[in-house]
Amino acid sequence: MNLIRVRKGYNLKISGQPSQEMLTVNKPGKVAVVPERIPFIKPRLKVGKGDTVKIGSLLFEDKRRPFLKFLSPGGGIVDAIDFGPRRVIQKIVIRLDTDEESVDFESLSENDLDTISRHELVEKILGGGLWSFLHGLPSRDIASTDSEPPAIFVVLDDLEPFQPEPSVYLHDKDQLFVFGLKVLRRLSPRVEVFARPESVRRLKTLDGHITGRVTGRYPADDPGVLVYMTRQSSKENRTWYIRGQDVLLIAHLLKHGKYPTDRTMVIGGSAARRTGHIRVRLGMPLAAFQPFAEPGMDIRWITGGVFQGYPTGPDSYAGLYETAVTLIPEGRHREFLSFVRPGFNKPSYSRTFLSWFNGSDQPFDCNIHGGVRACIACGNCVKVCPVDILPQLTFKAVLAEAVEEYLALGLMDCVECGLCSYVCPAKIELSSVLADARRQYHQEQSQT
Amino acid sequence: MKPISIFDKIRPHFEKGGRFSRLYPFYEAIETIFYGLDHVTGQGPHVRDNLDVKRFMTIVIVVLIPHLMFGIYNTGYHARLSAGLPPDFLPVITFGFWVVMPMVIVTYAVGFFWEALFAVVRKHNISEGLFVTCMLFPLTLPPTTPLWQVAIGISFGVVIGKEVFGGTGRNFLNPALTGRAFIFFAYPAQMSGDKVWIAVSQVKDAAVDAVSGATPLAIATLVESPAQVEQVLAESGYSFSKMFWGLYPGSIGSTSTFLCLVGSLVLIVAGIASIALSWGVFLAFWLQADSSIFWLVSVPWLGWV
Repeated sequence: MNLIRVRKGYNLKISGQPSQEMLTVNKPGKVAVVPERIPFIKPRLKVGKGDTVKIGSLLFEDKRRPFLKFLSPGGGIVDAIDFGPRRVIQKIVIRLDTDEESVDFESLSENDLDTISRHELVEKILGGGLWSFLHGLPSRDIASTDSEPPAIFVVLDDLEPFQPEPSVYLHDKDQLFVFGLKVLRRLSPRVEVFARPESVRRLKTLDGHITGRVTGRYPADDPGVLVYMTRQSSKENRTWYIRGQDVLLIAHLLKHGKYPTDRTMVIGGSAARRTGHIRVRLGMPLAAFQPFAEPGMDIRWITGGVFQGYPTGPDSYAGLYETAVTLIPEGRHREFLSFVRPGFNKPSYSRTFLSWFNGSDQPFDCNIHGGVRACIACGNCVKVCPVDILPQLTFKAVLAEAVEEYLALGLMDCVECGLCSYVCPAKIELSSVLADARRQYHQEQSQT
Repeated sequence: MKPISIFDKIRPHFEKGGRFSRLYPFYEAIETIFYGLDHVTGQGPHVRDNLDVKRFMTIVIVVLIPHLMFGIYNTGYHARLSAGLPPDFLPVITFGFWVVMPMVIVTYAVGFFWEALFAVVRKHNISEGLFVTCMLFPLTLPPTTPLWQVAIGISFGVVIGKEVFGGTGRNFLNPALTGRAFIFFAYPAQMSGDKVWIAVSQVKDAAVDAVSGATPLAIATLVESPAQVEQVLAESGYSFSKMFWGLYPGSIGSTSTFLCLVGSLVLIVAGIASIALSWGVFLAFWLQADSSIFWLVSVPWLGWV
């Protein structure tokens, strides 16, 4: 088993780490799909309000790539289709029947997997609406169906605060997971499974299947970082990746012939009264998490982690890829003489606060903690960037539209971890500048 | 009434549409000294580090304060000594204060004027880097510098060294040292550095001639071999320990090697200064002083760095 040691990156000392406890929520009355939070697609609606849908019925497809289908996570009636500005489809809400019907897909046995052609297998995953869980580097767009990737990386852990523990979501599911790996091996000759050494120790039953251990700080186990650390040739930049939990979804579809409806999420953050793992429906209403929120507090609801998640609210729904709900205080307060306080409770990457001597986890809020200034070339972003691009130069090259320069600086290696924005004392949105440029570059490339 | 409500009351006048909206950068600089902003993140990453440019620069200023205080003492000490007066602590401090503080105040007033002017016209925020520049600049000056030269020097430093390039972060020159270099070349009679600068106490008509003499660097250049430097300097009254602790005539903040080292260490440990940059310059200087080491070591190393 390879050991991959990532030296850069940064771990937040943030409180609100979800416990291993399994919490329970009631079966929701509604579920939804949130196309707004699926990057790189332009949805074309295939249902209308009031239509009856089953679990696995087609809801919408991508306009550019109509073979990418997005299916209903619940059976019932389409209750509402919400549009945002410029008629962006925000969400498609389905009111669930008490007895939900399900579309039948063809199931595969282990032996079928050996005999089925790669093309047929791709068609099955596409038809089951789960192809969108396979992503291609370096763009992180949904994987292309035309080409065979040099490798598929399966990442079990996610160091971003906070994400589900592999030992929890894989509990009693190792058979299904191994089946999923077999599926992936038909898609690419090389499948690598990465986990932290701690997780490897807990996942004894999967010992032979985990091919790489990763140590380091966030975002050490990001697939982009892993490719950056392990690649031997430039071909490997086109590696695909999939999250450990999503392997289970694909395996469920192919093994049982039913569209999967469940996944494990975590609820965490310092504004959460109770934290833990929860088995939920795909497209769960976030209102179901309301009882875990601290009452009477101005709370930022984040679906996903604190670095890469989306700002939402209890009126929204869990998106396709989201496995966490993080609740942290908004922090809209004005602190008197904030910049000269000793700051024993003010966590910082730098050593300019007494928190340097404070080893305990601290609550974080969403305050920017300062005014926006010009870049002063302090170099903090360079020190944390896990893939050694020079963010302070790259973002200037992006803003100056110097395409060759920012590509040479390694823009396409950027894993969009958000650490550069986090540490920036001038409060520059480096990460989103880089991410937007990456997206734009990818779109220009895929059009030609 | 909470003090924040004063700001809440007058802020609308400075915001968009207000009567003084052009002066917003000026207002923002004042308000954020007292209160941190309530701005929150709109997108990921949702949390941000507590360090901002204000604290970043404040730490540099804090590290410079011992230099300022020692500079005040040193200035007064040598002034009284050369005037033939006993260097008692209180009069030394008082005299040094009256020499050094006007220079600091003039620097801040003139520097802030230029920064605010450019901030309002060019519509950028007033950067806290200015306050570091204005602290550094008087510390690099001899205590005998006339105040009008101080004003011209900091004007040149801030405007030509920084603002014409777009302000803090877009300059490629250090504004404080640009200003210092400017007055070095513009007023060589006062700045050339081959004479010792002592602000003589004028109260007792002391003899000015008594205080001129060569600076340590000027003495060092006259020595034939590098090995003799320390000995010759010691003979001229510049012993190693005196040079290290800093009680000799010179620019206000530059005499104490000890304080420079402490400040450098604090900034490096805090992660404000880069050890490669600051010590690299010192190292290169030292290697160059001994030319044999310079050629042997520094040239192959250039490729490494």
